[in-house]
Amino acid sequence: MRRAAPEIPGKLRERASVRERAAGPLALAIALAIAFGVAQVTPAYAHMGTGLPGGFESGFRHPLTGWDHLLAMVSVGIWGAFLGRPLIYALPVIFPVMMVGGAILGMFSVPMPPVELGIAVSVLVLGLCVCLAIEAPAWAACAIVATFAVFHGYAHGMELPSAVDPIGYSVGFVLATGLLHVFGIGIGLLNARPKGILVTRSLGVAVALAGGWYLCLALGL
Amino acid sequence: MRGGALPPALLCAALGLCLASADGRAALLGLAALVVTASAVAIAPVPATRSDGVLLGCWASIIVNAAMVHSRRALNDKAALALSLNTGVWTGAVIALAPSNMDLLEALPLALCAWPAAWARRRGQSIVLKVLASWLIAVAVLAATLQFLPVTPGYLPDHTD
Repeated sequence: MRRAAPEIPGKLRERASVRERAAGPLALAIALAIAFGVAQVTPAYAHMGTGLPGGFESGFRHPLTGWDHLLAMVSVGIWGAFLGRPLIYALPVIFPVMMVGGAILGMFSVPMPPVELGIAVSVLVLGLCVCLAIEAPAWAACAIVATFAVFHGYAHGMELPSAVDPIGYSVGFVLATGLLHVFGIGIGLLNARPKGILVTRSLGVAVALAGGWYLCLALGL
Repeated sequence: MRGGALPPALLCAALGLCLASADGRAALLGLAALVVTASAVAIAPVPATRSDGVLLGCWASIIVNAAMVHSRRALNDKAALALSLNTGVWTGAVIALAPSNMDLLEALPLALCAWPAAWARRRGQSIVLKVLASWLIAVAVLAATLQFLPVTPGYLPDHTD
C-alpha cells in the first residue's frame, strides 16, 4: 500500500472519464426506477396490526440512522472514486454483499471480535484512506472494504427488528446502503473539478476525526 | 409478511437486467415466455404448505438471474428462454400463493427494465447493471435467511447502547 502524493489530481482527472461521470447518475436513475416499481408493489398477506415495525421505509431508514455507518459507507464510495476503475464499481458491489453476510452472522449471533471497535476502526481507516488518497492495490482495497462490511452488517443484523414485512425491509436496507455508496462516488467525482480534491480530502479528514472519536468511545477512553 | 407481489417483482427485475445482454428478438421471446408461463402457473393450485419451498425457489432464481448479469458473455437465445421460463414458473407459483392473482400485474412490468438496462449496456455502462444485480443478490440472500429466522434479535440492546 502506498500513498499517491502530489500527482493525484492530474491522474484523477484522467480517470474521471465521461463514462465514469455518467455512471453514478445512471446507476441512481435505474436504481430509483426499480425502487419506484418495487414501491408500487403492495404488501400482501401480512401480520398487519401486530404493532411490529418495518417494511421498505424502515429498512431504508436503518442505514441512515447511525453516523458511524453512514460515514463509513459514504467513505467507501469516495475512496472508490479516488481509486478509479475497476474499484469505483467493485467496492459498492462488495460492500452490500459482504454486509449481508455480516448481517446473517449477526442474526444468528455468531461470536465476533468487538463489533463497536471494528466499526470505529473502519470509519477511522476509511477516512484516512480518503484524506491521504491512499492508492491501495485492488485486492487490498477489496479485502479492507469486505472486512469492514462484515462488521457493519453484523451490527445491523444484531439490531434487525422482527419486521412486519421482512422482504420490504431487506430491499430498503440494501438499497439505502447502495445509494450511500453512489452518493459517496458522486462526492468523489468532485476530484475531476478544480479544487475538488481539496473538498474530498477535507471530508476524509473529518471522517477520520470522527472515526478517532468513535474509537475513543469504543475503547472507553 | 411473506410472499405477495414483492418477491416476484424482484425476480422479474433480475430477469430484466439479465435479458439486457440478449439480442432483441431473444429478449422479446423471453418476456413473452415469462408472461405466458407466469400466467399459467399463477392460476394453478399450489398448496399453501409448499410456500417455504416456493419462496426459496424464487430467491434462488433471483440469485441465478442476477449472477448471469455478471457473466462476460452475452446471453444466448436458449439461455434467455430457459431463464425466462424458470422465472415464469417461480413468479407464477408465488403469485398463486398470494391473496390475489392480480399481484401478477404488479410484478411482471418490472421485467421491462430490460429496455433501459439494454440501453445502458449499449452505452458501455454494463457495470451499472452489475452493481444493481449485486444489490438484488444481497436482498435475495438476506430475505432467504430471514425466512428461516422468524424472530430476529432486533429488540436487544444494540451496539450503541
